[in-house]
Amino acid sequence: METQEAVAESTPMETDGQSDSKRDGQKRFTLGPNDSLEGKLTYGGSMAVEGGGRAEGELRLGGNIEVGNGSVVKALIEASNVNIKGEVEGRLTARDKLTLGKQAKLNGDVQARRLQIEDGASLNGYVRMGDFEQQAPGS
Amino acid sequence: MLGPRDRVIGQIYIEGDLRVGGVVEGEVEVTGDVEIDDMAKVKASLAGRDVTIRGQVNGAVVARKRLVVAKSGSLFGDVRVGRLAIQDGATFSGKVSMGAGAATAPAVKAVEAPTPLSEPEPKLATEAEKPAAPIVAAPLVAAPKITPPTIIKTAAPAPVAELRVAGKDGKGRPGAAPIKGKPDKNKKKRR
Repeated sequence: METQEAVAESTPMETDGQSDSKRDGQKRFTLGPNDSLEGKLTYGGSMAVEGGGRAEGELRLGGNIEVGNGSVVKALIEASNVNIKGEVEGRLTARDKLTLGKQAKLNGDVQARRLQIEDGASLNGYVRMGDFEQQAPGS
Repeated sequence: MLGPRDRVIGQIYIEGDLRVGGVVEGEVEVTGDVEIDDMAKVKASLAGRDVTIRGQVNGAVVARKRLVVAKSGSLFGDVRVGRLAIQDGATFSGKVSMGAGAATAPAVKAVEAPTPLSEPEPKLATEAEKPAAPIVAAPLVAAPKITPPTIIKTAAPAPVAELRVAGKDGKGRPGAAPIKGKPDKNKKKRR
């Protein structure tokens, strides 16, 4: 008994076997086909919305976000890497890279350090690139 | 084809494709495809069917079909396109309008354009539609569009304004232009 407790205490983060999966030691969860999220989420890890999952509101992530094919996200999004293959509506900030896949639909203003848009993607809104930290969120 | 040492200042209308390797300032309208090569520096509004950017472009772009900004390309300006591809590494800032509304309007123009062979200039004024105003005033209108993307904003407006004037004088046939240009401008305004 005692030893087990000690182990658990010594590695509080690592032993958490409940989380979906891990990448680079980061937390990560997935919204699947029957999942939906509404409201404001602040999360240190990454998330994925897949297979028709839905999210609405405000998503502020320390890690990355991935919006899969057929999924719909209507939210203010802030994350490191943003990878969109589904539909997204709302203001979006990618601290690192924004990727729009072939089937992606994005409606909203975008700020990203790097940007990749594949042919076939649909985009409507203002795009800004570069060091956005210095730019006021005015317009 | 404009080579690396070529320079154009003013308004260009071309039936066919255009490849730019040098400096272009003013307005460019092309019925076919436009390619901006690595070393090119363009401070102009561009209109074409397929537009590929590998160099630097400062100005609004209309691609009736597709706009591609390649790895080495940088584009500051508002964009109306049918389809859009931006490769990783490219730089782009501006407003993107995509889809039916964006692509259709210019396409109609392009169809009209070939008919009056003799008068390229008016068409340019037309296509520049963001200016929507008399030729001299146009650059002033165009300037704010370039502004939002920041960074190079100060450089853009001033030179363009000068060029425009220069281009017009150089061609020495301002009379022809306004006639054709006016009706089109009005159309634009109404929309």
